Amino acid sequence: MRFMGIIPQLVVNSIIAGAIYSMIALGFNMIYGATKFFNLAHGVMAAVGGYVVFFLTHSFGLSVWISVVIGVLAAGGFGVLTDVLVYQPLRRRQASQLILLVASLGVFTVLQALIAMIFTSQFKTLSIGNGVQQTYNLFGGIITTTQIVLVLCAVGCTMGLLILLNKTRFGRAIKAVSDDEEVARIVGINTDRIVRWLFFIGSAISGLGGILVGYDTGIEPTMGLALLLGGVVGSIIGGIGTIGGAFVGSFLLGFIENFGIWHISGEWKSAIAYTVLILFLIFRPRGILKK
Amino acid sequence: MEYIIHLAILTSIFAILGIGLNLVVGYTGLLSVAHAAFYGIGSYATAIFMKSFGVNFFIALLIGIIFSAIASFLIGLVLSRFKDDYYALASLGFNIIVWSIFLNWQSVTRGPLGIPAIGRPELFGFVFSENIFFLILSLIFVALVFGVSVFIGNSSFGRVLKAIREDEKAIQVFGYNTQMYKLTIFVIGAVLASVAGSLYATYITFIDPTAFNVMESVFVLSIIILGGLANLKGSVIGALFLILLPELLRFVGFPSDVAAQMRQLVYGLLLVLLMLYRPQGLMGEYKL
Repeated sequence: MRFMGIIPQLVVNSIIAGAIYSMIALGFNMIYGATKFFNLAHGVMAAVGGYVVFFLTHSFGLSVWISVVIGVLAAGGFGVLTDVLVYQPLRRRQASQLILLVASLGVFTVLQALIAMIFTSQFKTLSIGNGVQQTYNLFGGIITTTQIVLVLCAVGCTMGLLILLNKTRFGRAIKAVSDDEEVARIVGINTDRIVRWLFFIGSAISGLGGILVGYDTGIEPTMGLALLLGGVVGSIIGGIGTIGGAFVGSFLLGFIENFGIWHISGEWKSAIAYTVLILFLIFRPRGILKK
Repeated sequence: MEYIIHLAILTSIFAILGIGLNLVVGYTGLLSVAHAAFYGIGSYATAIFMKSFGVNFFIALLIGIIFSAIASFLIGLVLSRFKDDYYALASLGFNIIVWSIFLNWQSVTRGPLGIPAIGRPELFGFVFSENIFFLILSLIFVALVFGVSVFIGNSSFGRVLKAIREDEKAIQVFGYNTQMYKLTIFVIGAVLASVAGSLYATYITFIDPTAFNVMESVFVLSIIILGGLANLKGSVIGALFLILLPELLRFVGFPSDVAAQMRQLVYGLLLVLLMLYRPQGLMGEYKL
């Protein structure tokens, strides 16, 4: 922070926040695209991922890499489980979006309470080795190894999804389901299977996000809600239903939040995020990337 | 006996919250997840005016109502533009903003420390310090709120609300200003929540922001969905059921530190099961 004061650090913080939000927003956005409901249980998958890794590394002494892989798969698995047990039966019954939304609130509440009952509601940290992290100086802003990995993962996941959606048969099937589920089914696409895969991929990315947040700051049972809100706001201001929108919106939110608290206390972040959301809903309800 | 009175008072407070929210969600079909915000505004206004200015409870209650009415009017102005899932999402956002103000405006609300030692209500020199008298006071409020809400539900105003719920476009064609109706019922719901907040603050005599977060709004939502949308008796029964059920589980032998989580687990599970098998609730006349 020699020559430009605090601005480089604010930029770095904004990028890190944007990376975290985008990992939640990607899955939230894809699931919304295909099923047209706000899955409020999506954020809690991040907590599932984080806690599975905590459990494996602390209670079984498994290595970090194996734990992370299992944690990501577990988060994806839980996502599929919620779809099979709750959302798919509701969709079969042609339930309204509001019923699905309320059901997802219920799923969120149950999973969060379960995590708190098993692991207590204490704040816990994940750490590698002695817990001291290598830091780097980026044009005057400090960034840790975990945070670099976080940003790389967010960019990687976004690129991966863009390729998946635009270059593969599976991606075209997803687009067909998102455009019109009924027509997709009529032309022979197994829509339930596609949606299940979306839940798996989305929740797994969310879980990876949760794990990285755990290594960066720490985990607690209520982390899902805060992450979800960031992801939701990012999705909506970017443009709901699109991968690019989720990515751009999340980073925009990261910048607005971090520059917003430049002169006031950091606790106002969530208030700022939601004020931005409401402004967008009023003036540009389809986000920046959509007409 | 004290314990039963305690549960009865809590049930009354949540019944008032449920009735108010049912007017918005059940009668008008607007899925609001912001109810705890107005519950909180009522609580904080009552607590602050009673403690810092020595105002009588009943005047502090009115001040809380005025604050809630103003806040809900402004928030409702924005919310009335939305419907369905966007309404739910935006209302959730407002709950978080208001909660964040409770938490961070420390010079007024003392933030996470909360406000302790709030007095009990007093009327002509009589203090409602015994819980049994507080229960009577709460029941009087439940009866008042219930009566007013039944009147609203059966009035021509209430019929317009139900018409908005069934088909907003159609009722607009008949020349009704639906935004005005949506705004009015939102303010009424908020005012009732504020009354519940005043009772809560003076019963527990301590408030902090955790009592007014989004989870609390979800809790009230599950009360009215369980009892039945657009059925006011249902909201009272829903409140009774959801207050008592976790207590019963405690008797079965769960340790008390998981009791709070148990409450969340129970109503979360209930929400999922209701949505799956009985979306209109026990005695509701309207499905989401």
